[in-house]
Amino acid sequence: MTLVQPPLKKDDDVEDDSEYSPFYGIERSAVLQEARVFNDRELDARRCTQVITKVLYFINQGVSFTQKEVTDVFFATTKLFQSNDIGLRRMVYLIIKEISPSNDEVIIVTSSLMKDMNSKTNLYRANAIRVLCRITDGGLLGQIELHLKQAVVDKSPVVSSAALVSGIHLLQSYPEIVKGWSNEVYEAVHSKASLVQFHRLSLLHQIRRNDRLALSKLVSGLTKGGVQSPLAKCLLIRYTTQIAQFHPLAVASCNVDLESFISDQNRSAATLAITTLLKTGNESSVERLMRQITNFVSDIGDEFKIMVVDAIRSLCLKFPQKCRSLMNFLSSI
Amino acid sequence: MDASTPLVKNVLLLDGEGKRVAVKYFSDDWPSLSAKLAFEKSIFTKTHRTSARSEAEIGLFDGYIVIYKFISDLHFYVTGGEDENELILATVLQGFFDAVALLLRNNVEKKNILENLDLVLLCLDEIVDGGIILETDANVIASRVAMRGANDDVPLSEQTISQALATAKEHFARSLLK
Repeated sequence: MTLVQPPLKKDDDVEDDSEYSPFYGIERSAVLQEARVFNDRELDARRCTQVITKVLYFINQGVSFTQKEVTDVFFATTKLFQSNDIGLRRMVYLIIKEISPSNDEVIIVTSSLMKDMNSKTNLYRANAIRVLCRITDGGLLGQIELHLKQAVVDKSPVVSSAALVSGIHLLQSYPEIVKGWSNEVYEAVHSKASLVQFHRLSLLHQIRRNDRLALSKLVSGLTKGGVQSPLAKCLLIRYTTQIAQFHPLAVASCNVDLESFISDQNRSAATLAITTLLKTGNESSVERLMRQITNFVSDIGDEFKIMVVDAIRSLCLKFPQKCRSLMNFLSSI
Repeated sequence: MDASTPLVKNVLLLDGEGKRVAVKYFSDDWPSLSAKLAFEKSIFTKTHRTSARSEAEIGLFDGYIVIYKFISDLHFYVTGGEDENELILATVLQGFFDAVALLLRNNVEKKNILENLDLVLLCLDEIVDGGIILETDANVIASRVAMRGANDDVPLSEQTISQALATAKEHFARSLLK
């Protein structure tokens, strides 16, 4: 990456002392001026990519821009959709997300993004979906919803994941709309892609999270071996633990495995195992657990100790009869 | 958001003095720039003397789980909440670390990262989306950044000889134009 200006005054500078840095001595105002090349009739894709990178560098370093400067950069960036350069298009997606245009400004790029959302190139589709969902409002969402639902069941994992993850985010602001995708999300079960399984499960769980019966069904349906993805398996374990809070018998068999983790070298893993056991243990196992962790507790740092004490506190509330032995234990820490 | 979805709170790439090279925050835990910088300083100070070079290390700092790994003059960090699954965070770190190595042809040091900052920022974009893990496989991440085989999601390591040569040519051209 070439420098455009030699180092001059340092008012708007980013402090980078290493003279080998391509951003050494760079000025914010100069970069904003450079963005004018986005208006050229013949776009130099490489140059434009460099300018976008410099702007992103400033944003990354925490340098703030005025609202007018941001708006100007955004408008200039919209011209870049005219270029077919793949690398440049990716940078355009990136900077749009970073700038977070307002509702009025979004309209300018909507049609370009919607065109990309229907592109033959999967990576364009996936990225356009992610950008659109990041900047959308209710009206725009209504227009693109059909495409999003189709994207969920798309064969390409990158497209499917993009739609599913966007769905998880959109669920916060537009729950009713995303809940309407349930059928498509269920259908996505056919995907073997590891991350798609993870995203699908996560979205389904969130859609159903207030419906305990549906959650139990979801989990039991999947534990029958339908899931290969490691991340999806982690999710299943979490959901099972949550369900265990109202159906504890269902997870009693896991406790035996957890106990073997107490002696694990990795202190974090061991602490996690202990606190989980303390949470899901029953009255008779409490004494045994207390004996096992007495030695352990002196080894761990204060932050881990706090976690253990917290778990013991909940135990006291759960099993009042055990309070005395738990108090004895706490006083010995 | 539902607490059971594993969430990444930030991914940080700091230099040998703890200053930012590329960072991305996905949560409101550090609302101001000064809060972010203070966090970065805190974890850098607490970790930079440890040896996290051959394997990632884990720590619990200020109530956050931080997984980190160092190479050359660079420090990679991934942060999650204290209830987060450390292995998941470690997978994210490894994905980022390895994808960057692939994209920079194993020449992972500060100068080269800055000269290819666009690739590194795209990499971050392909790994976590608003806190949710998007992809953890370094080959897939690197391919998506390079937009190589944009229709087939062909991982960089599985490219045919001609595709690999094209990739190499592109990188060579980029370095010549600097």
